[in-house]
Amino acid sequence: MGLGLLASRAMRPLRNSHSSVFLRTIVSKPELQSAESSAAAQAPPEPDLPPRTPVGGARIHFPNPEDAIEVFVDGYPVKIPKGMTVLQACEVAGVDIPRFCYHSRLSIAGNCRMCLVEVEKSPKPVASCAMPALPGMKIKTDTPVAKKAREGVMEFLLMNHPLDCPICDQGGECDLQDQSMAFGSDRGRFTEMKRSVVDKNLGPLVKTVMTRCIQCTRCVRFATEVAGVQDLGMLGRGSGEEIGTYVEKLMTSELSGNVIDICPVGALTSKPFAFKARNWELKGTETIDVTDAVGSNIRIDSRGPEVMRIVPRLNEDINEEWISDKTRFCYDGLKRQRLNDPMIRDADGRFKAVTWRDALAVVAEVALQAKPEEIVGIAGRLSDAESMMALKDLLNRMGSNNVWCEGTGTQPSADLRSGYIMNTTISGLEKADVFLLIGTQPRVEAAMVNARIRKTVRANNAKVAYIGPATDFNYDHQHLGTGPETLTELAEGRHPFCSAISNAKNPVIIVGAGLFEREDKDAIFATVEAIAKKHNVIRPDWNGLNVLLLNAAQAAALDLGLVPESTNSIESAKFVYLMGADDVNLDKLPNDAFVVYQGHHGDRGVYRANIILPASAFSEKEGTYVNTEGCTQQTLPAVPTVGDARDDWKIIRALSEVAGLTLPYDSVGGIRTRIRTVAPNLLNVDEREPATFGPSVKPEVTGKMDTTPFKSAVENFYMTDSITRASKIMAQCSAMLLKK
Amino acid sequence: MSFTLRSVKVPPNSANLEEARSRVFEFFKTACRSLPSIMDMYNLDDVASKSQLRSVISSEIRKNSHVTNPKVIDMLLFKGTEDLNNILEHAKQRHHIIGQYVVGPQGLVQDLDPKDRGMSNFLKNFYRSNYF
Repeated sequence: MGLGLLASRAMRPLRNSHSSVFLRTIVSKPELQSAESSAAAQAPPEPDLPPRTPVGGARIHFPNPEDAIEVFVDGYPVKIPKGMTVLQACEVAGVDIPRFCYHSRLSIAGNCRMCLVEVEKSPKPVASCAMPALPGMKIKTDTPVAKKAREGVMEFLLMNHPLDCPICDQGGECDLQDQSMAFGSDRGRFTEMKRSVVDKNLGPLVKTVMTRCIQCTRCVRFATEVAGVQDLGMLGRGSGEEIGTYVEKLMTSELSGNVIDICPVGALTSKPFAFKARNWELKGTETIDVTDAVGSNIRIDSRGPEVMRIVPRLNEDINEEWISDKTRFCYDGLKRQRLNDPMIRDADGRFKAVTWRDALAVVAEVALQAKPEEIVGIAGRLSDAESMMALKDLLNRMGSNNVWCEGTGTQPSADLRSGYIMNTTISGLEKADVFLLIGTQPRVEAAMVNARIRKTVRANNAKVAYIGPATDFNYDHQHLGTGPETLTELAEGRHPFCSAISNAKNPVIIVGAGLFEREDKDAIFATVEAIAKKHNVIRPDWNGLNVLLLNAAQAAALDLGLVPESTNSIESAKFVYLMGADDVNLDKLPNDAFVVYQGHHGDRGVYRANIILPASAFSEKEGTYVNTEGCTQQTLPAVPTVGDARDDWKIIRALSEVAGLTLPYDSVGGIRTRIRTVAPNLLNVDEREPATFGPSVKPEVTGKMDTTPFKSAVENFYMTDSITRASKIMAQCSAMLLKK
Repeated sequence: MSFTLRSVKVPPNSANLEEARSRVFEFFKTACRSLPSIMDMYNLDDVASKSQLRSVISSEIRKNSHVTNPKVIDMLLFKGTEDLNNILEHAKQRHHIIGQYVVGPQGLVQDLDPKDRGMSNFLKNFYRSNYF
C-alpha cells in the first residue's frame, strides 16, 4: 500500500465497511475530533501573558529599527525584524516548534511538514519554517488544528521508519524518538510492510542505515552548502525516494562527520562509535580541541576512564556548531601507543621501566653536567601554556635560552603579536569580500577557517585568490602562482589581481604558518606587508592581514616568548628536552647527545630518546591554549591519566626540584601567576586579545626572497600530530579518502 | 561485637567541660594501668616499651586537644574506651596493636633515604600520584 492510499484512508476513516479494524481514530481526545468547532469555542487568549524567554537564549538583532514588525504568538505580542520566518518568530516568543528538516544554518527545505502551525485567516496549517512572518500575523502553536496536524505528520513519518530504537545508536538522543513521544499519537493504524532501503557506503566515518531515513535532506543541504562537496543527493521520487551518493563513491569531505550531528534520526551515525555506548551513560566534559590551531569547542563524552566520542559545542566566533573529522574521530588515538611508565634506554637499546624517582634523578644529573649553551628545550605542537612556561623557566635557570616550540621556525618573530595571529578574527572573515591566500591551504590546515571562508564566498560572492602549490578548494578560486615571484608582482602592482584587492571593501590576506619554516620568511612577510600597505588592507576599522597558524601550541608559545637564542643550537646540543616535540628534525643532533622525551605517545620523538617521561594528553589535563585568532581557551580533564603519567608542568616542576633549581611555583594557580607577568592575555579565558600594534612599527627588512615555490605545510590532513598518528580511524581515512 | 557493646557502659553526658576533662584524665590513667597486662597479652615487650606506648596513648589523646564541645569529648572517650575494651578482651590480634600503636599510620615502608629528607611536599605528592 502506497503513501497516497494510506493518506486517503486517514482522511476518510469511516468509509470502508469491511475494514472495521481500521476504524480506530488517530487521537483519543474528543476535542481533537472536531478541531474547528473546539477552536472557535475557545475564549480569545488573554493579552496579559507572562513574558516568555526565547528558546535557547535566542537573541534578535535589528539591523534597521523601522523594519521591525509585530506578530502574535499564542496571543503574546513579539517584535521581530522583517524577513524572519514564522518559526523564528515563535522561537523568539519562547515557543519551540517541532521540526526535522529545518536547521538554522542550512537553507530551508520545508519538506518534513512537522513544523505546521495555525495562522489566523489562513485556510490550512502552514509550514512555519518556510513561511515569512507578516505584520500582525496571529500565530497559534497550541491549537487542536496544529496538534492534529503534527500528529498526522508523525504518523506518516513512522509509517516507514523501523521500530528498532533498542538497537539504534541514535536512541536516547533522537529527534524522532523525542518528538513522537511529545507530539505523536498514542496508537498507530499501520499494518503493511515497511519500505526498506539499501545502505550506502559513505566511508570509514559515517555509518548509514538508510531504512531509518525520513528524507529531511539536512545531510544533502549540509554537504552542498557547508562542506562544499556535491556528493550527497536525493534519488527517486515518492516512496522510492532515497538519499545517497549518485554513484558508488565515498564522501570525501573534511567535515563529513557533522552529518551525524544534524541527522535527526539514526540514519547517519558515527561508524567508530557504533554500538559502543548509550548517550545517557556518558559524562560530558566541555573542553577544546588541539588537533589544529583553530581551537574548536568540543565536548568529550567519556565513560569511566575511556573517551567514547567527541562532539562539537556551539561557539559562534570559532567553530559555529561544526568540527572537522580529525577533531571528531581522533579520539581512538588517545587509547593507543600511550606511554605509561618512565623508561630509560639500556645499553642494548631497549627501554626499561623505572620509577619516577630514578628517572628524574638521571635526567637531573645529565642536565647539570651539560654546559648551558648545550642545553636545548623544544615544546611540542600540543603543549599547553603552563608547561611551556615551566619549560622556559627551567631552561633559563639552567642558563640556557634555547627553547622554542616546533613549527615556529628557527627565528620566530614573537615581538609583534599582529605578526602571528589572525587579526581579522575567524568570525570577522564573514565581512570580507576578497581573500588572498598566501602559502596556505586552509582546507587541510584549519578546516573550520576554510568553512568560514566558504560561507563568505557563498554569502557575499567573495573572490578568492591563492598563491601556493596546486591544491583543491571547495569554492571558486583563482590560482595566481606558486611562489614568491607572484608576491613581488602583487607588491609592485603589476599583477592583474591587484585591481580586485584595491577595489575591495574589506580585503583579507591570509599567510600560512608553513612559511615560518622558510629561511627567507622575513623578506616574504615584508613583501606581504607591502602588499597590505599598497592596497589599504590595514585600516583603523579593518585589519585584513592574517597569519593562519598550524598548531594548537604555537600562539601561546609565541605569546610566552619561546624564541631560541641561536638558530643552530641542535647541532651542538648535548642535552635535549623534547616536551611532546615529534616533528622536529633531529638528524643533525650529535650522537652523544642525551635526549629526554616527555609526552603521551610513543611517536617519532621517542625513537631518538634516551629517557621517556610519560605525560598526560589534552583530554586528561587542565591546560591553557591560544587559538590562531588569539583567543585564550582552556581544556578540562575528562578522563584520568594513563598508567603512571603526570601532568606536563608537574614533571618539569619536579625535575627542577630534583636538579636543585626549584621553580617558585607548585600549583596551577602559582604557575598562572607567573604567566601573568609574561603574557597576561593567557589568563583571560574565552576572550580574544587583539594585537596592540600593527606591522607598521616593524623595522626595515633587507633580505631578499628566495625563488623556491611555496610548499604545502600539511601533507596528510588526517595525521598531523602524535594523537592522530596513533589513531586507527585516521589511518583508515588517510588510506581511503585522501586523493592520491 | 555484641559482647563488647555489652561490656561498655555509656556513662551519662558530661555536664561541662571540666567534667569532660577530668574524665579524659581518668581514661588515660585506666589505659596506662592496663598497659602491663596488654604487653603481656600481646607479647609486646620485644617491640615496644611501656613508656613508648604511654606516649602513644597521650599523643592519640592530644590529637583531639582542640575539641571543646563536651558532647564530642564524650563521644571520643566512648570510642577510646571501646577500643581499650576490645584490646583487653583480646578481640584484636598482635599485628593490630603493632600496626596501630607501635609502627603508626606511616607504616613500615618509610622513606628513610637521607636524600629525600629535604624534599618538598610537592615532590612527595608527585611521586605518589598525579592527583593532588
